[in-house]
Amino acid sequence: MSSAYTVPLFLRGEVIVDDLVSFGTRTGAAKFQAPDMARHVHRLPLPSPMAMADLYEVPFDEILDVLEALGNALDFERNMHLQEAYEAALLANPLPPEMLKNSYQILKPLFSRANVLEIADSQVGLEYLNGWVTQRLGDGRELRVRAFGSRVLHIPAGNGGLVSAVTILRSVITRCDTIIKAPSNDPLTAVAIARTLADVAPDHPITKHLAVAYWKGGDVAVEEPLYRPEHIEKIVAWGGFASVKHVTRYIQPGLEMIALDPKRSATIIGHQAFSDDETMREVARCAAVDIGVANQEGCANARVIYAMSGTDAVGIANANRLGEMIYEELTRLPAFISTPPLYPSRELYDHVEASRMTDDWYRVIGGDQREGAIIVSQFDSPVDYSAMLSGRVANIVPVDSIDKVTEAVTAYTQTIGIYPESLKRELRDKLPLFGAQRLTTLGYACSVPIAAPQDAIEPMRRMCKWIVEEACDPDVVTPLWRLGEVSAQA
Amino acid sequence: MATQQSTRTVEQFMDDPIAFFGESLTHMHSIARNELEELHRQAMGIRFQQHVQSIEMVGKLAGRLGVTELREFNDVVPLMFSHTAFKSYPAALIDNKRFDLMTKWLDKLTSHDLSHVDTEDCKSIDEWIDRLDEQTPLEVITSSGTTGTLSIIPKDKHGAREGMVLWKICLFQTFGHEPTYDELNPAVDVIWPNYAKGKLGHLRIANMIKRGFTGGDESKFHALYPGAIDTDLMFLASKMRAAASRGELDRLVIDPALTARKDEFIAMQARQPEDLDRFFATITEKLRGKRVFMIGTYNLMYDVAKAGLERGIRDVFAKDSAVLTGGGTKGFVLPDNYMDVIHEFLGVDRIQQGYGFSEQSAFHWGCSEGRYHVQPWVIPFILDPDTSEPLPRTGRQTGRAAVYDVLLKAHWGGVISGDEVTIDWDLQCPCGQTTVAFEHDIIRYSEKRGVDDDRITCAATHEVHNEAVEFMKAFES
Repeated sequence: MSSAYTVPLFLRGEVIVDDLVSFGTRTGAAKFQAPDMARHVHRLPLPSPMAMADLYEVPFDEILDVLEALGNALDFERNMHLQEAYEAALLANPLPPEMLKNSYQILKPLFSRANVLEIADSQVGLEYLNGWVTQRLGDGRELRVRAFGSRVLHIPAGNGGLVSAVTILRSVITRCDTIIKAPSNDPLTAVAIARTLADVAPDHPITKHLAVAYWKGGDVAVEEPLYRPEHIEKIVAWGGFASVKHVTRYIQPGLEMIALDPKRSATIIGHQAFSDDETMREVARCAAVDIGVANQEGCANARVIYAMSGTDAVGIANANRLGEMIYEELTRLPAFISTPPLYPSRELYDHVEASRMTDDWYRVIGGDQREGAIIVSQFDSPVDYSAMLSGRVANIVPVDSIDKVTEAVTAYTQTIGIYPESLKRELRDKLPLFGAQRLTTLGYACSVPIAAPQDAIEPMRRMCKWIVEEACDPDVVTPLWRLGEVSAQA
Repeated sequence: MATQQSTRTVEQFMDDPIAFFGESLTHMHSIARNELEELHRQAMGIRFQQHVQSIEMVGKLAGRLGVTELREFNDVVPLMFSHTAFKSYPAALIDNKRFDLMTKWLDKLTSHDLSHVDTEDCKSIDEWIDRLDEQTPLEVITSSGTTGTLSIIPKDKHGAREGMVLWKICLFQTFGHEPTYDELNPAVDVIWPNYAKGKLGHLRIANMIKRGFTGGDESKFHALYPGAIDTDLMFLASKMRAAASRGELDRLVIDPALTARKDEFIAMQARQPEDLDRFFATITEKLRGKRVFMIGTYNLMYDVAKAGLERGIRDVFAKDSAVLTGGGTKGFVLPDNYMDVIHEFLGVDRIQQGYGFSEQSAFHWGCSEGRYHVQPWVIPFILDPDTSEPLPRTGRQTGRAAVYDVLLKAHWGGVISGDEVTIDWDLQCPCGQTTVAFEHDIIRYSEKRGVDDDRITCAATHEVHNEAVEFMKAFES
């Protein structure tokens, strides 16, 4: 079988396509090749931590300039690297072409000056990034704190190119030395951005502190020599058990893991949604977007939708009606947002079809062509296979009270889209106790802000090393040796 | 063999194949292909008409798809159930002990009438199964799944009895030879390398075998472990694993009655080494050289054989004993020579292998060529693994196994499996059997997928949960 594409090693500005070895893709229909990292791994880390000094000679304004130029060059229509990444993703990723293309078209605004500034200032603080922030403590000493970059290895998720782009953006802002292990389901986006960076800023310190490579997750020949405190200080690991398990064996003092583990999201729709037909239609439109964006491949997508319709006959009828409307709106979404999935899950549809026959408990709307479906529970519990919901299949669960909803919110729950706003305010101090990490307006679940904490942590602050410099005037801050004199006299 | 294709004959074929084939294995697998196909065609039409009336779920599905009759083999494919059909009830019904509603659900999956079943004060799954045993013709079998639910297949007592007779025919007869009196009435002790009792999955078969092979004589039934496995406890374990994988363990409410029983279960596990010693003592003292029937999956057989050889026990049973194994090597890593180890311990002439899944009426027995010949009352299908579209019934085809088992009366016989199989439709097997056969190598799709995949997404998928479940298992054992 010939190779469909090559994932080159991007090594601090240099593009390497030597010593190629083959890898299979998810579908098994295509193979790709990449340099044998067992032979190149020694070149990945910085030779010495001192080599990061050049990053601190770059003024932040210059960082903004470079990122802006990078953004401008990430124009899908003109950028060959992105087009190549798109072609590879067509084979490696389950998303259809329209959506993949769209995921590259949103890269440019990400790197705009205003956006980068907002992210840098809100997620770390410009003053901490660019110098020492002074503060006087109660004992009289002067404390100065600065955020230094660290040597970070990233294992990003591959569902859509945005994750790779955000990874690079966060790294550059924090002046980190960055090694990215490219994901097999989005093999070329990180390399494409890196190569574009090398085009617009050749030999720039930012380019020289970026490396992107592919190796098979868990490959000991690569990971054992690399995942060591003398080479890497932090590992940002997306993904679940399988990928994190490889990483945890290397975690030790001096090598920290920042885990952005897989999440699920939920939706809560208040009783107000059922007040009239027009409101219900609007709510259905918003919910359909939360379900449908990028075919429900993401963590922020709606899956189980709790409707506070009540569980009496009227309540169930309302939930069914809402289900029909959501299905109509879902199938009406434009192709760049949502389409029937290319690879619907057979296992999921086996369950959906069984639910369809079990009509005492479930009502299934749509799904005949595996185009997506809405399963309306006819009582107050989600389907037992809720963890499988994907490819635009959602489950509406009518409930009488909010207690039934909090039961279902766990540490796995990332986003909760809520209607109306008043209900969200009512719930915002309560849901986090159960594990919820982000509450947002219904319809915006998948419009995830980058200038905000993620999964209840602040990854950018975690990527930094927070260094303290103190100045103590013995006349102001009583030194220990004088404390000794004082007690001796007493 | 002269079979006339009158309606009576077809009905005998599908309702009493044992009589139809004169209790002969040779007759079962010597029937001409075209003759069998014609019987199949007629039988499927008749059984469908019966079930469309008597099984609500089948009637509903046929109604929705607009199917009123079956003419061609492929007509039945859209009506086939996947494994999910037998666990489509909400798990909350069991948590809330709504066994009345569970009965109502099950009623829609069986041709038997369950409307009169009294489930009042029924407090556990085991109790509920007892009620069904007492009050209905059913003898359900259950198995646990990955989603924290239990599948419940409404088998009946008639089918269980019939199944055991069919097993004996296949186990003790040799193809090409007319059955002898001894073969039709074998006297054997039964070796059951498992827990003696239980209503979960294959443990349920223990009782059927005891009845079918020893006439219920406990002294001729030798289980590895004397205890019973509690279905409710297994259900809890499966629920706990599912909850742990969803990050919901802190929300799980455990029935206090079960918590108490958990200690019993742990004690039972702790007694296993003693039980094992006792088991081998029985074998060497009482059963050495005797003719037995032993059944177990490859890994169970291997474990017992290995433990026996370690105790210096080999060649224990009579050469003409019947030994049946199969079931894949699910999740267990066995050494390459595992069959040699089993042979060395047992000392029997032949070890038979069977392929089947619990929704069917019987196994398909392996032949001298290693193929599993499809029992004549089962119509096999090979489907596209993803779309379930039937593949042509000619040439060599590999895909998802599906069957329409026309012998099944208590529940619908159209079932899609999770197994990848191959059939060479044009092959006349050199073993002499005329029936079509599954090739020897069979693998579950779930084991096949995800072997070589390191993609990462930010969404917590089912696969992620399965990994977590595996992780939890490691802590439990």
